[in-house]
Amino acid sequence: MGQTIAEKILASHTEDGKASAGEIIEARVDLLMVHEVLGSRILPILDEMGFKKVWNPNRVLVVNDHWAPASDINSAEIHRRNRNFVKEQGITNFCDVDCGISHQVLPEMGLVVPGATIIGSDSHSTTYGAFNAFSTGLAATDSALILATGVCWFRVPESLRIEISGELGERVMSKDLILKIINQLGPDGANYQSMEFHGPTIDAMSVGERMTMCNMTVEAGAKCAPMPINQDVRFWMEDFAPKKKWKEVTNDSDAEYVDTLQFDLNEDPLEPTVAPPELPTNGKPVAEVEGVPIDQAFIGSCTNGRIGDLIIAAEILKGRKIHKGVRLIVTPASKATYMEALERGIIKILMESGGIVTNSTCGACVGGHLGVLGPGDVCISSTNRNFRGRMGHQDSRIYLASPATVAASALKGVITDPRSV
Amino acid sequence: MVQRFSNITGRAWVFGNNINTDQIIQGQYLRLLDYSEMAKHTFEIPRPLFASRVKKNDIVVAGHNFGGGSSREEAPKVLLHSGVGCVVAESFARIFYRNSFNIGLPLLIVQNGSKLVKDGETVTVNLLEGTLTIKEKGDVIHGKPLPNRMLEILKAGGAVPWYKQRAGHKG
Ligand code: SF4
Repeated sequence: MGQTIAEKILASHTEDGKASAGEIIEARVDLLMVHEVLGSRILPILDEMGFKKVWNPNRVLVVNDHWAPASDINSAEIHRRNRNFVKEQGITNFCDVDCGISHQVLPEMGLVVPGATIIGSDSHSTTYGAFNAFSTGLAATDSALILATGVCWFRVPESLRIEISGELGERVMSKDLILKIINQLGPDGANYQSMEFHGPTIDAMSVGERMTMCNMTVEAGAKCAPMPINQDVRFWMEDFAPKKKWKEVTNDSDAEYVDTLQFDLNEDPLEPTVAPPELPTNGKPVAEVEGVPIDQAFIGSCTNGRIGDLIIAAEILKGRKIHKGVRLIVTPASKATYMEALERGIIKILMESGGIVTNSTCGACVGGHLGVLGPGDVCISSTNRNFRGRMGHQDSRIYLASPATVAASALKGVITDPRSV
Repeated sequence: MVQRFSNITGRAWVFGNNINTDQIIQGQYLRLLDYSEMAKHTFEIPRPLFASRVKKNDIVVAGHNFGGGSSREEAPKVLLHSGVGCVVAESFARIFYRNSFNIGLPLLIVQNGSKLVKDGETVTVNLLEGTLTIKEKGDVIHGKPLPNRMLEILKAGGAVPWYKQRAGHKG
């Protein structure tokens, strides 16, 4: 029987070289990413375990990203603990509060390679699937065990094959596509599964567009989303990890899938898609929510805070002013993204239009700081979660959309089709 | 030990489908370093009275996809700190499932529990047999028995003691 991408990657990380769907296996972890959860939750568990030394200080990345720079005394304390841990353990990969969001900085540091196993203390660690990695999110206790041993047990996931062909269309983005796909699946439609994307549409996507797709698979419950690589990923590896050796992992032609979904975007053109509160899987064509008044528009996060996202927002906002009374907040996903946007003149365009550009952090996405919503606030956001209270007060409302739709809505003060401005 | 797994009895707190980790504990409270402080905000959005009224061994009974969203281990932790004896649902999101056993909070998969059990009713969970019993009616609902790996971790008292035992075995 042939193997899926997830099965193959996991199998290459077990002692006996085997892994088939449904089995419980022990696999080597190539890289562990931990953020503030290290200081707040993992360190006390390590104490309880009698932990002394990390299994390999070169295979750990520590990031202070959620409340960066510290938004209050507790987050300052957590950051301090992380810095101490990095020093004590001689950890080589560390991003302090000036760096950006974990899921963006990890690939920028050249730490992801095709075929790797990457675990993060964050549910959106599925993002690295864009680079053909098996990557998933776990929490504090599992991270603590990995820090000590470098291995972790997994139930090998069944795989769901998703084939996509056709063009996205003008101002229609990969965010719209993933919102549509997870709408079809529902919040647990891919629970415990590996979502394996294929087809010419995925092949033609930039690295950033692919990351957006893999990022949001977890909103349908997926465990991982390893994509076959494409030319842009090869270029990325040349630029960001030129010294690393790697080999693409492909699925066998007779691999077994629980199901196959097909999307032909030429036959059935994709509309800009918006997910009204309170589930990311609520996506519907923008036409159905057009005209809803907004108070805040947010472009940022590990889903859509990358350079391509800022470029399209600037293209829409160039030489124009956002609607009076609307707050447009832009948080580039990493310092590198911010610098590139600066060089390209994008930051200036966004600020001249009336936007506020913050430093790189999770910030508003998790209701942490730099754009927390108050009672009754309505926000259109390029992030990945619109749960009740996610970005602030429990009586605020979040509509998820692409950066193009967010920018167009900021311009009009109401939810707007980006093709209409 | 056997008693702990075969007879968890308490009042049912009944919830619907897709209760996510932000509803169990909101992101803004994750900076609190003390779990007892954090537990005061458990289910603050869907059940504001939960934290002040919950009693030891109460049972959370929910629909499908309980615990979706963030990877935060704080979600099962605040339930454990609140005294919840077991969460019974039609299905669980994968990270929540793993986290719960890791910290020693038992979960049981039972179909239709949230439809058959009324909020506030006294129920008993037997993890070894995989059953949920509604005390007054005497109805016994059969769920899925726990996988061996999960029972093993639970019997050890969570993943940390489980790890210590295994590390000990390896010498
Ligand atoms: S940007 Fe938002 S979704 Fe992404 S890691 Fe940060 S808090 Fe999580």
